[in-house]
Amino acid sequence: MSGSELNLSVNIGQKLSLKNPVMTASGTCGYGAEVARFYDPARLGALVLKGISLAPWPGNPCPRITETACGMINSIGLQNVGLKAFIKEKLPVAKSLGSPIIANILGGSVREYVKIARALEEAGVDAIELNVSCPNVKKGGIAFGLDIKSFTKLIKAVRKDISGPAIIVKLSPGAQPIEAFARAAQEEGADAVSLINTVPAMAIDADSRRPLIQNIVGGLSGPAIKPIALWLVYKTSKAVTIPVIGIGGIRTGRDAIEFILAGASAVQVGTASFVDPAAPVRVLEGIEGYMREKGIKDISALVGGLVTGCS
Amino acid sequence: MPMPMPGQFFMVGLPGRLDPLLKRPFGLFRHGDGLLSFMYRVRGKGTLIMSGLVPGDPVEILGPLGNHYPLPEGKYRKRKPLLVAGGTGVASLLPLLRELKKNSIFVYGGRNRDELLCIDEVRGLAGEFIAATQDGSEGVRGTAVDVVTDLIRGRDKDGLLLYACGPAGMLKLLQGLGLQGYCAMEENMACGTGVCLGCAVRTSNGYKRACTEGPVFDINEVVFERL
Repeated sequence: MSGSELNLSVNIGQKLSLKNPVMTASGTCGYGAEVARFYDPARLGALVLKGISLAPWPGNPCPRITETACGMINSIGLQNVGLKAFIKEKLPVAKSLGSPIIANILGGSVREYVKIARALEEAGVDAIELNVSCPNVKKGGIAFGLDIKSFTKLIKAVRKDISGPAIIVKLSPGAQPIEAFARAAQEEGADAVSLINTVPAMAIDADSRRPLIQNIVGGLSGPAIKPIALWLVYKTSKAVTIPVIGIGGIRTGRDAIEFILAGASAVQVGTASFVDPAAPVRVLEGIEGYMREKGIKDISALVGGLVTGCS
Repeated sequence: MPMPMPGQFFMVGLPGRLDPLLKRPFGLFRHGDGLLSFMYRVRGKGTLIMSGLVPGDPVEILGPLGNHYPLPEGKYRKRKPLLVAGGTGVASLLPLLRELKKNSIFVYGGRNRDELLCIDEVRGLAGEFIAATQDGSEGVRGTAVDVVTDLIRGRDKDGLLLYACGPAGMLKLLQGLGLQGYCAMEENMACGTGVCLGCAVRTSNGYKRACTEGPVFDINEVVFERL
């Protein structure tokens, strides 16, 4: 089944052109090489790699994950190899896989974000996704994602220094109002926003009276958050002209189409890859199947195509 | 499918369901004649549904995954394998026992006789077999760790090679006995393929993934942090 008669290509700003709208979500495909045994990563629009910090981070103690109704909570704590090892060992392998590479980065200060972004620009990534919404690390991350002043300052600083790779800002579902954050990202020159990151959540074992995540709070993901994500993507896409990348509980082509109709130009597949490692490819095939079935030749015809009002 | 090795596991899931959503890891219990067998205890929603499946019902599997128990080779080739199972830990050690056969000592502990599944097969295969139950309904009264403690008294520890699978509390106590060997670790897992980083096992060399660098670890490398 080939999608060659269909046009699925999307542009993420001026700098990033994708052959289709399906990407992996950060933290669900390792550094790329891990998924190559399950599917050809070159088939995807892009690979978004595991979040990188300046120094290696060991991550949080276990239990780090627990399943909840139609979803899961994780508190991995951004375990990662650190910038240096990422550039030396992981990035060259990821770049050889034939898919555009988006690095997801996280810092404890504006200076740290800028330093990482600069090094990655030099190392040659196609885009940088600024993670300002991880609920699982005390320092940085969500601190920038919930406060509009530090959020704006961060994007301004990174944009000033980075001219090569596209800049995507990953928004927290807790950013209030999310339209203001998306607008600020647009005004400061971000090429796109991606949303949503996981939803802060907890689970408790009534027998032991203990939290089911060692860190007490973690991030909820999976089909359970899809309706929340759809609403926030819809609202956000009305507020900005830059592309919106939809994330949250996508596991089928139809899920992806729903996000596209809500206004997303592209999507990321996350938790579904834990259930089926080849989920991103299945989502892509599902999108192609939907387009064929409905006689739609160009995916751009679907973006924001939600029909509202009386029929 | 590559030939599964003792200690490896499969992710098993119920197709088309959103709840439970994730696959669960199960150590391979037996394989052959185109059949894979898993032993499990009904503990939650997923295993409850699994227990109601009938022949012909579809399940999704991914595997074999992870590393496996190394056989006594190299500097360990002359050591006698000492297999220690706590409860359903037997499921992981039985495939190893089927390879080692009489060249083994097998210690099998549980709360009571009903908990010691497959005891006849284990007894029949092992070179030396000792059961331990907390209520004394089978074998000696006590724990598997008590049995091992007695067993190594007056024996050359360097003549043994430990293979252990069971509750973390048991593994930690076994670690304290100063034997060389291996243990299989259990940890909550989302993907089983090395990308979610959920199943981190703390070791003296940092966190390692139970699904990829494990589930079998050098028992003296593991840091039992939650006990």
